[in-house]
Amino acid sequence: MPPRATATRLLIAGTSALLMLFIVGPLLRLVLEAGPMSLGRAFADGEVRASILLTLGCATAATLLGLLLGLPLAWALARRHFPGKRLVQGLVDLPVVVPHPVAGIALLLFLGRRSALGGTLAELGLEIVNHVPGIVAAMAFVSIPILVSGAREAFLGVDPRLEKVARTLGDAPMTAFRRVTLPLARRGIIAASLLAWARAVSEFGAVVILTYNPKVASVLIFDRFTTDGLPGALPAALALLLVALGVFLVVRLLQRGEGR
Amino acid sequence: MIRLELVTVRAGAFTLRDISIEVPAGGYALLIGPTGAGKTTLLETIAGHQAPLTGRVWLHGEEVTALPPERRAVGFVYQDHLLFPHLSVAENIGYGLGGRTTDNERRTLELAELLGIAHLLGREIARLSGGERQRVALARALAPRPSVLLLDEPFASLDPATRNGLRRSLLELQRRERVTILQVSHDFDEALRLGDLVAVMADGGILQQGPPEEVFRRPNSAFVAQFTGAGNVLAGEVSALGVAEEDGRFLARFTSGPLALDVVAERTGPCHAVLRPEDLLVSREPLPAGRNHLTATIERLERVGPVTYIHCDVGRPVVATVTTQGAEGMALTPGDRVSLTIKATAVLLV
Repeated sequence: MPPRATATRLLIAGTSALLMLFIVGPLLRLVLEAGPMSLGRAFADGEVRASILLTLGCATAATLLGLLLGLPLAWALARRHFPGKRLVQGLVDLPVVVPHPVAGIALLLFLGRRSALGGTLAELGLEIVNHVPGIVAAMAFVSIPILVSGAREAFLGVDPRLEKVARTLGDAPMTAFRRVTLPLARRGIIAASLLAWARAVSEFGAVVILTYNPKVASVLIFDRFTTDGLPGALPAALALLLVALGVFLVVRLLQRGEGR
Repeated sequence: MIRLELVTVRAGAFTLRDISIEVPAGGYALLIGPTGAGKTTLLETIAGHQAPLTGRVWLHGEEVTALPPERRAVGFVYQDHLLFPHLSVAENIGYGLGGRTTDNERRTLELAELLGIAHLLGREIARLSGGERQRVALARALAPRPSVLLLDEPFASLDPATRNGLRRSLLELQRRERVTILQVSHDFDEALRLGDLVAVMADGGILQQGPPEEVFRRPNSAFVAQFTGAGNVLAGEVSALGVAEEDGRFLARFTSGPLALDVVAERTGPCHAVLRPEDLLVSREPLPAGRNHLTATIERLERVGPVTYIHCDVGRPVVATVTTQGAEGMALTPGDRVSLTIKATAVLLV
């Protein structure tokens, strides 16, 4: 092999190894620092169990909400030309660049009891701020852009002429979508949903402002860290890390098995 | 039956203008033309994927201009087959049949057998060859018994042997299913081989349509002549030599640079002369018959089976054809000087 090619390979291998160390190192350090015994303590702690269940439930709700509202938009962005399309695309991506505490404050102003929408919803019996819907709203705000972008890419990957063929074979537009486009885009949509879900699970900044209580896992960990220091936060941190990673891996494995 | 009446369609920056064409029930028509002529847009308009700005579309005697694709009873096959990759071969063929019933399974099997793909019914699409995929696409389009089949260059990506086999299958299926076919091609030979009707398209319009032999014999423009493989299309000018006869035609002279030919013309002025390679008679000495004798230098001989194409220079490059046997009999070689003879009536002015 020429020396230049060898040098290039070594450079790529070196930088990649550094990056892997940067990602895996802190997580591994956390696991080693907490130790396996702390995991048992964490799961024996009712507050930790409740916060993890609340986190998983709210992240799932936020992802389902994203699918419900985001899939039609993702399809339209992939397939249709309409006035203001670029603006809509930019608006959908906006939450990605908004710092999450800022997003929390914005949501508080928009959905709080003093706002028109929040006030109306509260009168209808749907309390947002400092209630579970507030957590779902904050999680949805930060995760939906990931879902919409991923689903749009998945739809773009399906040749629109396949739908045309389905139409000439007798399918109405929605039927062609259900029988052809959706199955072909499914893997991409599931991957986008998984990323959005993971993003929702990890959310802290917006949630802590909108709903401090009941506490999701990230807020509980922060709470324990500020009151009890590192030893207090570590078991809950380890438990959340392992649960999130476990769900992530199971879905990925199921997806891979289905693709075979 | 397919009938379009002054159809104009806008697809992005491209416009299809005033298209009128009629293909009788059970007919086989070909749309030919260069890339970007609007052939696929025209097929998609017939299928209902493009809405005309003006004009009307009839299929099997019914006006369908406002009907969606799913209500037009049209089959569509694209060049790149566009099979549904998440379905098996059998599921692809049966897609338009609406559910698994004994009748539908029988229809799937019947078409698969006719197209020689019955052994592939359980196979995944990813494991098919190009020819097999196109056969599946054809079976899928025919399964719901459409009255019209639209084919967008269905043979373009196939090797010659597969192409010929599929053409035979298609003609047999057309007779059997009594389906009207409109096929896009960029190959005029295909029109001569398959079509009852050919329409030559360019820049969003139909330049000429009619029986392939007629379009080939009497192209109405230099473009059509060139596209249908006329071989020699020369730009020049016609000047009168004689007075017009009762039918309005007169003996005239066509000049193109150093070349001068006696022709039968209907008008004077700039035009194109079409000299079909098979109408140029090649000989060592000028033939007694024929009004035009051109002295030519052979530049290249191209043997294609029993036919030899003689590329020569007569002050302009021209191509003539002789049988390979004839070329060998005259012992023609590049650099030889020969005589090309063409009758005045064989020179076509367009």
